[in-house]
Amino acid sequence: MDGVTNQRKSEEKLGGKDLINIGIYAAIYCVIMTSISMLGFIPIMMPMLAVLCPLIGGITMMLFYTKVKKFGMITIITVIIGAFLWITGMGYWPFIFGIVCGSVADLVAKSGNYLSKKKTVLSHGIMNITIFGCFLPLYLDINGYFATRTSFGSEYVKALSDIFKPWTAPIILLCSFIFGIFGALLGMSFLKKHFEKAGIV
Amino acid sequence: MDDSNNPAKNNRGLYLDPRTKILFLITITTFALGGAGGRRVEMLAPVLCMVPFLLLITAKRFKTALVGIILLFASSILLEFANKINMSGLLYYLVLGSFGILSRFLPCIMMGRYLMESTTVSEFNAAMKKLHISDKVIIPLSVMFRFFPTVMDEAESIGWAMKMRGISLGGKHASKIIEYRMVPFMTCCVNIGEELSAAALTRGLGGEVKRTNICKIGFRLQDYFSVALCLIPWILLIMDVVK
Repeated sequence: MDGVTNQRKSEEKLGGKDLINIGIYAAIYCVIMTSISMLGFIPIMMPMLAVLCPLIGGITMMLFYTKVKKFGMITIITVIIGAFLWITGMGYWPFIFGIVCGSVADLVAKSGNYLSKKKTVLSHGIMNITIFGCFLPLYLDINGYFATRTSFGSEYVKALSDIFKPWTAPIILLCSFIFGIFGALLGMSFLKKHFEKAGIV
Repeated sequence: MDDSNNPAKNNRGLYLDPRTKILFLITITTFALGGAGGRRVEMLAPVLCMVPFLLLITAKRFKTALVGIILLFASSILLEFANKINMSGLLYYLVLGSFGILSRFLPCIMMGRYLMESTTVSEFNAAMKKLHISDKVIIPLSVMFRFFPTVMDEAESIGWAMKMRGISLGGKHASKIIEYRMVPFMTCCVNIGEELSAAALTRGLGGEVKRTNICKIGFRLQDYFSVALCLIPWILLIMDVVK
């Protein structure tokens, strides 16, 4: 009897393999995100990052979701991604968003036992609200944000200030959520088309 | 996941504690790249930007440091020049894109590179343990630490291969870029990751018992000096917020 409870306990706890998986997928995701973010230097592309990152990142994440069986994995990966965004110069907001969105996304996925497709898609959408954290400093204090970025040139600053009017904030937020959902669907179709055949799911 | 046998890492000159390096990385990204703290810290930013190059020199990475310094100066001079003559249009964005990104991100990239090159995974683990961070975060982080160079390498190789087939930005089949790059990239990385995790598990990662570490890390004189330098902008930031 004791052995059975012990086994159940170790099933709920995160094991070494789960943690290594988190590290691997976080590394892949961060590399993909960095290469996409390079596009942000064209002003029109800046808000598009809220569309592209969830969409393309969805492929990686759906593969990661197939490995998730325990509570905590999604939280940890979101926090790590938030910390990575912090280190790469997006300010501390993504980190705070990462903690909140990560745990909510994890709870949503857990409510479907990490098997339900609908819950997975929804959870990926919530997780991607983290990306909105990168844009938050632009809305809170746009003049302060650009006071230290004068080297980018007045034209770039003007173009960005024109794009990031306060009313666009909820749109970007919604965008990151909706395209998170689309990204999840795209990722799932990729899973079906490629990864299941290759036997890595 | 241990690479202490790597000769490049054994011969590395001045020793800094990994915790100091992490503090440096966070400070530089927050103040030099993120531009936090406003005007008063701005004076300090050039000093912070030079730190990674200094560290690279102390770590006997002369070539990397020299290339970095030349790139940084060239890009900032060019940017100044572009702003002065009021360049506009497409050319301006090209100049901005390539040099703005360089001058801004280079110190951070160099710092990250210094951190990666001069720290072994074991040292990194020992430092994180001393910071009392949970194992649940340390293991993924150390895997990332070890895995980053591999992922970049794979991405580059697949980029080359696909370019040969005309699947790149501006190539013949640019529309297929996502599928044709992502799928082999992910497949490669996941397979390498599986092997990595098998290797780490055989060495007892994620076991029930507490893991020990033989790396000797600790603060020395140069660490105290560096920490003091890092604390200045943070104190200025706090003063700014409080006031």
